[in-house]
Amino acid sequence: MDLFLPYIACLTLVLALFVALRPTSLSLRIFMIVVGVSAAGWLIGLVTGSLSVFGDVSQGLFFFIFSVCAVAASLRMITHDRPVYSALYFVLVVLSTAGLFLLLEAEFMAFALIIVYAGAILITYMFVLMLANQSTDSNEQDSRATYDRVPREPAAAVGVGFLLLCLITGTVIGGSSSMPTQGSEQSQWATLEHLPKQFQASVLELDSTFPWPPISSPQGNMIRHEGDESYIVSSEGKTLVLPDELLPRNTQQVGWSLVNEFPVSLELAGVILLMAMFGAAILARRAIEIGEREKQRILLGNETESEEGNSGDQS
Amino acid sequence: MMTSSALAGYLIVSGLLLTIGLIGFLVRRNLIVMFLCTELMFQGAAVAFVAIGRYLFDYSGQVMVIFILTVAAAEAALALALVVLLHRQRDTLDADAYGELYE
Repeated sequence: MDLFLPYIACLTLVLALFVALRPTSLSLRIFMIVVGVSAAGWLIGLVTGSLSVFGDVSQGLFFFIFSVCAVAASLRMITHDRPVYSALYFVLVVLSTAGLFLLLEAEFMAFALIIVYAGAILITYMFVLMLANQSTDSNEQDSRATYDRVPREPAAAVGVGFLLLCLITGTVIGGSSSMPTQGSEQSQWATLEHLPKQFQASVLELDSTFPWPPISSPQGNMIRHEGDESYIVSSEGKTLVLPDELLPRNTQQVGWSLVNEFPVSLELAGVILLMAMFGAAILARRAIEIGEREKQRILLGNETESEEGNSGDQS
Repeated sequence: MMTSSALAGYLIVSGLLLTIGLIGFLVRRNLIVMFLCTELMFQGAAVAFVAIGRYLFDYSGQVMVIFILTVAAAEAALALALVVLLHRQRDTLDADAYGELYE
């Protein structure tokens, strides 16, 4: 595919972003963001070709809407001069990304993203923003701080962004012909063999006369594949074709992959979270200076109190 | 099933989010918004992980997003604690105000 038009789209996007970043009138900035979003939509359209590559036109339409929403919200997020609105636009980005995840059949990650990002992390950001904005802006006429309105080196940043975007676009377009062959859908069945109870229950529900357990193929798999169909074979030679409804759900697949392939990383993630909690508690704690005499007084006071308590118990 | 053109579309969206996050990180001077922009870059990476994982029918991509969530949460907690600490010292969120942090 020719790279000329995609690069023009990238250039339009970053130039519009450059104008929108500068402290000009609001209507011009909004117009430039609209131009940037159209350029991004054009770029996405150029790369995908048509909506029907998503298998279904409605799916392609949803993909387009969600991605344009995500790009528009992220553009508005970095150009808005009030940090609280930036955080709110980031929530919109998270919601659009969750929509994209739903289209990719990653339901668990979509809802985890909404709960953890939009529900927990963004609340922390908003909390700190309101804590920090309170004291700075109370005595100014314009509540927007100067450092929020005036960007730092927009030309250089936009130049770097343009180079990076061109590199990504060129790589994706140039590499789309040599992408790795698609994985086989049948590899999803492997998880079911690791869930023996569910496997047995669902097979017996399908055919209660099936003699459990099925015998393994020479490769060691109970579930065999032929063409599009997956089936199991009993010791007496009876075969049973498994319908797609028996496939493990998205959450089961992710959970199995998590504990089977990345057990050490899972433990490390717990350690990281614990350390972050300790670090945040220690950093945010306000140190109180106590003199030596006060320390002694507190200690002595505690001792005399405890002695009194003890003597009181004894009597 | 997912065609390679659809995968290319998802990868372009992920690249757009990453680039916009990078530009925002370089341009904005508010410390908290700078950290928000790193979260935007995390989002771009997450979209790429899930899209490629779906293309290859490999669920490791979604597991990586779980780890991205973990790192983002840890980073938000630590970075915001540091921002609160800095804000107590200088009473501003301007990143340029901390240009000469020496003592």
